[in-house]
Amino acid sequence: MTIAAAIASALAAYEALTSLGEDVEDEWTYVSDLSTAWNERLEGVRAARGDEPIETPARAAIERAIDEIGRISDPHRAIDWLSTFPQVVLVCLGEQP
Amino acid sequence: MRFQDAAKDARAIVYAGIQADPVVARAAELLADATPAQRVLARAVMNGETLDPAGWRSMFPTLFGDDRDFGDDPDDPAGTRAVGAADRATRERAEAILTVSLAIADRGEQVRSQLRGALVEAITAVLLARRAGAAAVKRERRVLFDGVRAEIHPYDVTVERPGAAEAYDCKWGARGINADVLHQLDDARSHAADEDEVLRVALVVFDAERSCRVRLERQTAAHERTGLVAIETLHRLAAASG
Repeated sequence: MTIAAAIASALAAYEALTSLGEDVEDEWTYVSDLSTAWNERLEGVRAARGDEPIETPARAAIERAIDEIGRISDPHRAIDWLSTFPQVVLVCLGEQP
Repeated sequence: MRFQDAAKDARAIVYAGIQADPVVARAAELLADATPAQRVLARAVMNGETLDPAGWRSMFPTLFGDDRDFGDDPDDPAGTRAVGAADRATRERAEAILTVSLAIADRGEQVRSQLRGALVEAITAVLLARRAGAAAVKRERRVLFDGVRAEIHPYDVTVERPGAAEAYDCKWGARGINADVLHQLDDARSHAADEDEVLRVALVVFDAERSCRVRLERQTAAHERTGLVAIETLHRLAAASG
């Protein structure tokens, strides 16, 4: 698996998290802005390093993070993770959070 | 400009109990010297749904990874491709941070939220004390100015030194940044200036600077002269230049 594929999986999960966060109507704009900003950051890593193979621990770590956000049902908790999840993915990939 | 203890109302008394919880001090001491990645670990665990330490370790291989542990990968039996395998000191600190973060996460939702807020204040106080001295660093203080109605809400952390005062509002996440907080900080700064005093004001947010900037981008309240200390830059609180 490549870093590009891992980031694609992460972004798909992030999209679902964004949808959940958007249920907080008062924060819709923030959720949208936040999601856009972190999408851009992760897309930047994909553009720069996408062809690299991803190491097994990093791949497992991202899958674990995806599992964690998949458990969230509270939209307010989802907003917390809209900032946290991309940072975790970046740390997994050895990038600055 | 002068400083005063906040009123000891019911909310303050309850919150003082939260601030005094030993887990807050323990976490603050660890996170004050943590790396950005270790702080992300703490933030994730304290925001998390699960309490399984093994799961969290597997989510942060650069903090907990050990080449010897990766030998079960059939494609990499020697573990030679393991990235960021952590050294012993990194793993020990990460373990300590994981333990204390799980202790906070394992509380009811309301208490967890209060502990997280108190934790950001405690980290801020620990780091500021290294620069300004513990005696100058205060918690839950109001800032009073002649002829100006005092704010109801106290400042989370202040540094009270003649000619070099500082006031901080502390937030667990970027979402906590709002117009009221920004107005309060900027008003204090400007009232101090009216009295020819210097009062540096800043937000301390245990969240990524990117998220904080996104939040601030839409805020119309004045904040051009309000500092921002984010999860990546907490160490600056202790630095000589502030």
